[in-house]
Amino acid sequence: MATRAETPALSYRSDWRQGRVTSWLTTVDHKRIGILYICTALMFFAAGGVLALLIRSQLATPNESIVTRGSYNEVVTIHGTTMIFLVIVPILAGFGNFLVPLMIGARDMAFPRLNALSYWLYVLGGAILYLSFLAKGGAASSGWTSYAPLSTLHSPGRGEDLWILSLHVLTLSSLAGGVNFVVTISNMRARGMTWMRMPLFVWSILLYAWMLVLVLPTLSAGLTMMILDRHAGTHFFDPAHGGSPILYQNVFWFFGHPEVYIMILPAMGIVSEIIPVFARKPIFGYKAVVFSTVAIGLLAFLVWGHHMFAVGLPTRLDSFFMVSSMVIAVPTGVKIFNWLATLWRGNISFDTPMLWAIGFIALFTIGGLSGIFLAAFPVDWELTQTYFVVAHLHYVLFGGSMFGIFGGLYYWWPKMFGRMLDERLGKLHFWFVFVGFNLTFFPMHMLGLLGMPRRIYTYSQGGLWETYNLISTIGSFVMAVGMIIFVVNIVRTARSGRRAVNDPWLADTLEWYAASPPPPWNFDRIPYIISARPLRDLRRRLAHEGRL
Amino acid sequence: MCAGALTLVGAALAGNGGFLPPTPHSPNAHRIKDAYVLILIFTGVIFVAVEGVLLAFVIRYRRGKRPRDAEGPQIHGSKRLEVLWTVLPVVILAAIGGYVFYKLPGIANPPAASAADETTITVEGRQFYWMFRYPNGAISVGTMLAPADEVVRENVVSAPDDVLHSWWIPALGGKIDAVPGRTNHTWFEAPAGVYAARCSDLCGIQHAKMLATVDVVPASRYAAFIAERARESSGIALGKEEYTHVCASCHRLETNYVGPSLGTDPLLTEVKGLETILRQGIGNMPAVGSDWSNAQIEALVTYTKTLTKGTSGNAG
Repeated sequence: MATRAETPALSYRSDWRQGRVTSWLTTVDHKRIGILYICTALMFFAAGGVLALLIRSQLATPNESIVTRGSYNEVVTIHGTTMIFLVIVPILAGFGNFLVPLMIGARDMAFPRLNALSYWLYVLGGAILYLSFLAKGGAASSGWTSYAPLSTLHSPGRGEDLWILSLHVLTLSSLAGGVNFVVTISNMRARGMTWMRMPLFVWSILLYAWMLVLVLPTLSAGLTMMILDRHAGTHFFDPAHGGSPILYQNVFWFFGHPEVYIMILPAMGIVSEIIPVFARKPIFGYKAVVFSTVAIGLLAFLVWGHHMFAVGLPTRLDSFFMVSSMVIAVPTGVKIFNWLATLWRGNISFDTPMLWAIGFIALFTIGGLSGIFLAAFPVDWELTQTYFVVAHLHYVLFGGSMFGIFGGLYYWWPKMFGRMLDERLGKLHFWFVFVGFNLTFFPMHMLGLLGMPRRIYTYSQGGLWETYNLISTIGSFVMAVGMIIFVVNIVRTARSGRRAVNDPWLADTLEWYAASPPPPWNFDRIPYIISARPLRDLRRRLAHEGRL
Repeated sequence: MCAGALTLVGAALAGNGGFLPPTPHSPNAHRIKDAYVLILIFTGVIFVAVEGVLLAFVIRYRRGKRPRDAEGPQIHGSKRLEVLWTVLPVVILAAIGGYVFYKLPGIANPPAASAADETTITVEGRQFYWMFRYPNGAISVGTMLAPADEVVRENVVSAPDDVLHSWWIPALGGKIDAVPGRTNHTWFEAPAGVYAARCSDLCGIQHAKMLATVDVVPASRYAAFIAERARESSGIALGKEEYTHVCASCHRLETNYVGPSLGTDPLLTEVKGLETILRQGIGNMPAVGSDWSNAQIEALVTYTKTLTKGTSGNAG
């Protein structure tokens, strides 16, 4: 005891957890976890993109033989599973992690350790999925939807089991993340930040989190039934023993359709943050945008049957799902109209984040409109399971979600890393992807109408089939060039990018009050919130006091 | 690229270029196309309006020479506009929905006809072929014969031990899934002609090759065909169809394909051995003929014997 009193209690020997790498491995800081999520998801995006280029190469011309049959089905399955479960959902979790505490004026998420667990489960799930390419019989090959009984009784390899395991792990990851967001947003907002002063992105993450919490257990149940059917001799989906393949589709889409809105709502939230800042106006109809977000979140639970119009449901069910799917178009339209009205009479700067946000509106509108064809079930009978659907879902999830995500990356990059991404390369990135995207996916509408089903590894038709497929393949490589430009931009910015000030875009929300990048404790002082635009309030006060 | 664009325009003028569903040849397909066109008009107008407004605002309200931080008018919203752009889409969607419901009976239900003018054919999807069962018990594989200008009702099924398929004749109406354990219904009424059909739901390794032909022929020829098929239930014609659409979707005679080559396989000439494999499957091969009649298996062997006759007699 005596010796302790004599030696000063100042030991600077650093803990092993403070190393350059180990600090990232052991971090429970929401910002670092957010960045880890985003970086990991971008790597999976590259992997999923390479798979997409393989698909497009195989379909470039008739009777091609680059990846065929079994391997093609593996590529298609893992491409879809990757983009949905390993890219869009987790990258949005990454944005949510980084931004939600900063935007609501909190010092961290409610459960930092649970947060780290979510991330590491995500890494584990992703690793399982990609290692499954090495499994006996290759990776899963029955599509990202894995319809039974193809996935249960007719997929003997280990790939399908690993797919189930991977999704089970990812489900736990997102479930823990979802709970964390709900608790954080509900309880940890800064003083004065009422629900109606909360940033629209936080609203969208709140709905994202609630929907994850509500639908993921359904997916888990479906996956469990699947693995039991495969290995424990149950017959949930086996019609020869009284089970039903339709049950699987109901379970899957009860999860799967809300999942679409889980992927699009936060991207809409990002766009709702970017547009007012670069148009120098408040969002038009804040409350309408909030209520439309909530309405979409609720209605999303009532539309799953529109994925099943061709299975032979009773007409009254088909009719119900048609009407509900059309109803959900209304709040979606409300958002688009409010964004347009926000642009009206604005002072619009076309910095890269804004280009992606405008691109989002332009492309998501197309995805929304093509959805109306698919909601009208007799028309869906002609279009479902064709490339028209592939076009539609990519306009929603790539032209929509991914464009929003890229906008968000350019917008918040300075906050995350303290350096501005290069504007010239950023714009080049945008235009390559925008042009390539439309070349790739617009002709797919026509291919679907010409009768090309999705998930076929080859075709023998020439003529328009060949022309459209070739255009589509060329477009996919144009996009790939855009993505390479993005990588160059990241590398250059890391080396020599311009240092970012706290608030480079003159933005509205609280995260710009923190330093760029923010210190571990986020804020020295958290201001009292009097509106949905605390930073503008602050700038005006400073200007009024002559300090700006 | 230029030549590509020219062929595109040319084709677009010649046919519909893929902007409309394939030219319909059945009343239900016609009505689907009508509904499609109505939606295309509405969505086309909305598309032009939204993208037009977006473009106009982006050009009109660009920053130009104004300072970056100059604020636009701080307008927070308008109840009247919110109501307008909530109600207007509701009206448009109601119009579309109303029109679809108006067309629906003519799409979902075949016209009432006396039993004499209609035929019911069972369409069975299996990995990776389509099999057709006619009212008199006749069977065909890969090619469906149907009487022209008559209502043809289709009962679409998949075997209980098989997977999901989806039956689609693009020119004759929409898809209907073939679901193990249940019977789905669809129909068409088409003039004589040959129509392409295919599976449109991922069903396994050779899904892309699960094609069929629908041969709509005058009623007399149809009647003659099914009568002959019923009489020759183990005939070589059926056997050839079975070989072409069932075996050859995964096997070749000379080389390995999805499965091993068949050229030297003694089983080709042996009813018992072939029957076991067809009914139970082997290794990765599914039980493709688990619900075949004995006559069907005999028909196949009748045909496969002719394949091995010319070869060096490995079979013996």
